Amino acid sequence: MSAASSPLLPREDAREAALFFVVCALCFLAALSGLVSRSAYAAADSWTSDVSGEITIRVRGDDAALANAIEITKTTPGIASARAITRDEAEELLRPWLGAGGVPLSMPLPRLIAAEAAPAANAEELLRRLGSQLKTAGLDTIVDDHLVWSGDVRRSIDLAGLVALISVGLLGATGIAVIAFATHATLLARRDIVEILHLSGAQDGYIAGLFERRFLMLGVQAGALGALLAFGAAAFVLYLLRQSVAQIWLLPQLSLSLADGLILGMAPLVAGAASMTAARVTVMRSLSDMV
Amino acid sequence: MRDQGLAADAPVLRLDRAGVSFGPDSDVLADVSLSLTPGSLTFLTGPSGAGKSTLLKLAYLGLRPTAGRVSLFGVDTSRLRRKDLAPLRRRIGVVFQEFRLLEHLTAYENVALPLRVLGGQEKNYRDDVVELLTWVGLGDRLDARPATLSGGEKQRVAIARAVVVKPDLILADEPTGNVDEEMGERLFRLFRELNKRLSTTILIATHDLALVRKSKADVLRLADGMVMRVPASAEPKPEPKGAPA
Repeated sequence: MSAASSPLLPREDAREAALFFVVCALCFLAALSGLVSRSAYAAADSWTSDVSGEITIRVRGDDAALANAIEITKTTPGIASARAITRDEAEELLRPWLGAGGVPLSMPLPRLIAAEAAPAANAEELLRRLGSQLKTAGLDTIVDDHLVWSGDVRRSIDLAGLVALISVGLLGATGIAVIAFATHATLLARRDIVEILHLSGAQDGYIAGLFERRFLMLGVQAGALGALLAFGAAAFVLYLLRQSVAQIWLLPQLSLSLADGLILGMAPLVAGAASMTAARVTVMRSLSDMV
Repeated sequence: MRDQGLAADAPVLRLDRAGVSFGPDSDVLADVSLSLTPGSLTFLTGPSGAGKSTLLKLAYLGLRPTAGRVSLFGVDTSRLRRKDLAPLRRRIGVVFQEFRLLEHLTAYENVALPLRVLGGQEKNYRDDVVELLTWVGLGDRLDARPATLSGGEKQRVAIARAVVVKPDLILADEPTGNVDEEMGERLFRLFRELNKRLSTTILIATHDLALVRKSKADVLRLADGMVMRVPASAEPKPEPKGAPA
């Protein structure tokens, strides 16, 4: 027995395949931008929290000067701990630039002290006091609290995040514009169907609903595929990075996490919602121009 | 049959000095006044390009008049808001010369379309649609798509679609234009039966003068942008087929 099950809007294979590809590509780029942005924030957080509270003191002089500087540092109020950085540790720090065994024994390395500020200490005041006491003791030292460095990192990451956010916004707007254009083209190509539906007593909302559902499905499917491809690309990049010890040292927090899963999961939903809204607005606007 | 807002003898369709113009010196309809009483069967004749299709378009709210007034079922359509057009359109069935069936739907689905649009449950209307298609002689072509149907079959599907919601008014634009003479007469008998059985008001635009003369129905002749009522017998006899021009 016959059943009225065929969709009222016929499939437009070639046109819809092209639109599917465009939406998929936009979702891929948007999801990738989101992943990069989140990873960059995570890396910046890791770097800056690792160095916050840490103070490095470079001592010019012999071992006695180093021991004296450690003692003064330890007794400075607001300092939780202080110790000398060994030659092995210093070589380890230089390894990414000079390679394993790249530091000749004859090469003098600076004498360094790693100190840690007490959690409640006022960093600015502590540094001033420590520098003053070391100077009073006649020691030639440079005190670095990493604040300048971590501030630069934070600002750079904020800027990168802003660029990523703008990219996602532009990709989203482009997607909406493309879908609106495609909906309008489909509507014009299917004016005969629209007219028959009108003559059959369909309200504009009913006709818009047909287009809405069509483009919602297209958006969700294209968004899901785009997100899946973005996941694949991110996983591939991570795999390549993990082949290089140096790179991993530079990007300690690069991994796929729950937050990344959320970004990827959001992509089809956002694509579907944007497609549906663009289709509805376009159809309702176009229909209002028809009698 | 519905009769909301319509007195027993009030016109189903009324045009008061209606005109349609697409720019200066391009009047398609100049000054058309006509009135269709409930249950009437009327032909609209006139030479090609006289504006028959435009007049029907005005009647099924596919076009707004640039002058004058169009009333349907006693409602002045110029005062209607867009959302109020749909309920009025549901009281009108339209048949076109070129059928305008949805090619991706079966004959059954095409006929069921207006019921589907109205939100009907298929189990509630399935028997009616099958019965209607059987009535037009297509009970065995339910699952056929328009591409596989002949011109006459397509037009019968289009007629079934137009009448499935039991409209108060049927507008047919050259319904026999794409079928042979025998099928044309068969289609006309369907219209006549609808008119008699359901008292549906029917307006058929045609240039098939032989059919008009045989029908003995009311005739409106459209010429020079205006319409006049003439007896069916007043329409000139068509030239016999094969006669020299």
